[in-house]
Amino acid sequence: MDRKPEGLSYRGVNEDIINFMTKTGPKYYLVLGFFILCSVFLYLLPWIHQIYTGQGVTGLNVPVVWGVYLVNFVFWVGVAHAGTLISAMLYITETPWRRAIARSAETMTLLALIVVAFFVFIHMGRPWNFYWTFPYPNQRKIWTSFQSPIMYDVFAIGTYFTSSLVFLYFGMIPDFASLSQSTTGWRKSFYKAMSLGWRGTDRQWHLQAKASMFFASFIMPLVVSVHSIVSWDFALSIVPGYAQTVFAPYFVTGALLSGFAAVILALTVLRWTFPMMKKYILIHHYDRIGLFILVLALTWSYLTGMEIITGYFANTSDEIQHITYKILTYPYSWLFAFMIFCNTILPLVLISGKVRRSEKLMFFLCIFIIIGMWLERYLIIPNSESRKFLPYMWHSYTPTWVEMSITVGALMVFISLFMIIIKIFPVISIFEIKEDVGVPMKKEGH
Amino acid sequence: MESALGLFDYVDELANAAEKMKSAGYYVEVFSPVPLGHELEPILGKQNNPIKYATFFGGVSGFCFGMVLCLGTIAMYPLARGGRMLWAIPPPLLISYETTILLGVLFTLAGFVLFAGLPATKEHLTPEVSVDSFGLYVQGIRRGGFNEVEKILTEYGAKEVKKVEE
Amino acid sequence: MSGIMQKIQERLQSYRVPGYYKKYDYRWTMVIDLDKCNGCQACVVACYAENNLQTVGKDNCGIARNMSWIRIEKYYEGEYPDIKVKFIPIMCQHCDKAPCEIGCPVFATYHNQDGLNTQVYNRCVGTFTCATYCPYDVRRFNWFTYKRDKPLDQQYNPDVTVREMGVMEKGTFCIQRIRAAKDKAKDEKRPIKDGDVTPACVQACPTGAMTFGDLYDPNSRVAKLAKDPRRFYLLEEKNCGPNVIYLKRVMKDGSKA
Repeated sequence: MDRKPEGLSYRGVNEDIINFMTKTGPKYYLVLGFFILCSVFLYLLPWIHQIYTGQGVTGLNVPVVWGVYLVNFVFWVGVAHAGTLISAMLYITETPWRRAIARSAETMTLLALIVVAFFVFIHMGRPWNFYWTFPYPNQRKIWTSFQSPIMYDVFAIGTYFTSSLVFLYFGMIPDFASLSQSTTGWRKSFYKAMSLGWRGTDRQWHLQAKASMFFASFIMPLVVSVHSIVSWDFALSIVPGYAQTVFAPYFVTGALLSGFAAVILALTVLRWTFPMMKKYILIHHYDRIGLFILVLALTWSYLTGMEIITGYFANTSDEIQHITYKILTYPYSWLFAFMIFCNTILPLVLISGKVRRSEKLMFFLCIFIIIGMWLERYLIIPNSESRKFLPYMWHSYTPTWVEMSITVGALMVFISLFMIIIKIFPVISIFEIKEDVGVPMKKEGH
Repeated sequence: MESALGLFDYVDELANAAEKMKSAGYYVEVFSPVPLGHELEPILGKQNNPIKYATFFGGVSGFCFGMVLCLGTIAMYPLARGGRMLWAIPPPLLISYETTILLGVLFTLAGFVLFAGLPATKEHLTPEVSVDSFGLYVQGIRRGGFNEVEKILTEYGAKEVKKVEE
Repeated sequence: MSGIMQKIQERLQSYRVPGYYKKYDYRWTMVIDLDKCNGCQACVVACYAENNLQTVGKDNCGIARNMSWIRIEKYYEGEYPDIKVKFIPIMCQHCDKAPCEIGCPVFATYHNQDGLNTQVYNRCVGTFTCATYCPYDVRRFNWFTYKRDKPLDQQYNPDVTVREMGVMEKGTFCIQRIRAAKDKAKDEKRPIKDGDVTPACVQACPTGAMTFGDLYDPNSRVAKLAKDPRRFYLLEEKNCGPNVIYLKRVMKDGSKA
């Protein structure tokens, strides 16, 4: 059926990608300018305001010191996950449909990680000292504390960012070589420099395949470890609602769920904006990712149930108090119900193949999943801190306009970066699509 | 010495020509826009994979680096915190898990760049081989033997044969 | 040679000892007799004056951003005419196994040789991890740059840092007074005697509910009070090893009087 891109030739693929990158209309620049403007006003200026005035512009208070910024941090790490999973896990298993979408998903990973890093700095009290968390010999004569879960984060996310960058760049080397032959001007010299003089000899291709396999095998366990470690920021504390042993698999599952939803959103926007993409991003991809989302949503629902039931079974006063606050108190009861609707009930429609094969339905479904997954983090992070042990110190938390503006602004930053990146780097892997097209043979039937 | 580059449209023709050239004692190299390992391995023979040593070295050194970083820095400047042991077991393991991957990835990249002969300043012999043609690069032709090679390549289906002076 | 090897071996073994310091020089402990506490808040005021705590104003107090290092928690029992109020002063408990110290990535909070849980303001980057991990919620954050109006800025205690925006702070058991007492004792070539150190809250307590001293000294007042059958630790089940002992008489029916 429509499992492989059809009607493509080797030359056609090259031309398509080059046209996609070089033929940019004024409309595109207008939209990009709009998003950059939004990033400046919604993200940069509020952040400068916050640095200048202090963390007091947020709604944080003493028991609730981790608010929306941490929610966004966890959320964007989650968005990053699906890209790596598609490019690494499906590479190892040699799943053919990954080829057309792996590059765009991997690009999303990298950009999401940039957003993540900035959320760490935004959330810090003294962000101008952020480099103090990096382990290097320094004149302060002090190293970092390697027992701290925050330090695990620095290593996990640093490694994740570096490995994703390496893997992404490495996969692009043959494409750069191909592009440098067919472009002119600054692009030609840029791509030539980036291709490192790749010539596509049999020896180079052989080493390329081997190294890809090594990268994929390294990155696979890394993906799982990164979100586990993010979850241990919370799970290694003694706060009721944080101290859950189920958190590592729970967070990884949730990350993949929101990540795949984000991939669908990005692919759909690409398809709607650039009709050329319809040749590459197929309904078949929606079908497969839809199945992934269905399975992950069910796993997520199971783990959500486990999280609550284990707390309920423990039957200590602080756990009961936390659960009551999280799922039975207005307005969190409504948010909890909406989260369950988004992430458990709605994804059940994916059982139907018709839904999975409809890009519009998938698009709106994924918007709901993204909102639901953001709510999940919101319900865990500030709400657990609202109900710690001493009732005198129970305080609630409401985000302020600065926090909400930076939250929306981060999305704008992400979109702006994505719009710039896809015009400079090949968002569809040229040589892998050519592999998909097949090797030309004179004799039929090989 | 002279070299010849034959451009092919079809891989099976190229494979046959490569087999012929190889048996005639020439050194052959294939340029292609896509990986052809599956098609060419029976002809050009199995290739070794030196990257694995770089990867292994990177992984091991990454693990050691993580361990030394965690245990060494605290030994240099002992600061008690949280009533835990200075040399606790799980944190160094966790950190070295990440550094194993980090250095493993970086060494794999370095190994790939090194063994694939990158970065190179050599020009592409012809732009087509990075788009839609397959090039068979025959090296080690004796002076005056080019015409013979050209004839064989054309016979096997090359659409164009270029003479490359070295 | 064997001497060096033995030294190295001892050193290596010491790293596997929880807390690294085999024995702290002192073990500062506070004992608070809740039966004596009348909730007058004098300790809170004294702490504000001694430790340069900033006043944050009505609005910020309303959203739980007051900077008090010590607070009197009030719990009410019953309805108006027949009402009982219970007080418990809570400050940093200087836990032996402090969860906040584990959270900090930059060693801004660690254990010093006295067994005190210290906060180094200059190292703090403000990740909030310590405040999250603290089960007693005693850590306070500098949300803004606070300034005192004239002439109150003349009232700062010169022995204590004025904290800048973006760092975490918390009760110190008046570490500057401990420091001064140590210096004095060193000049007189003697160890610190019981009663040399009095934190501001203890000094201000009108009912004498609070006692401060070294638990390692068997003759100190805290060591004697620590043997009191009324003793309990706050949130002992969280296993943080707090160093503040509370005394409270418990009635026969299990309620605390």
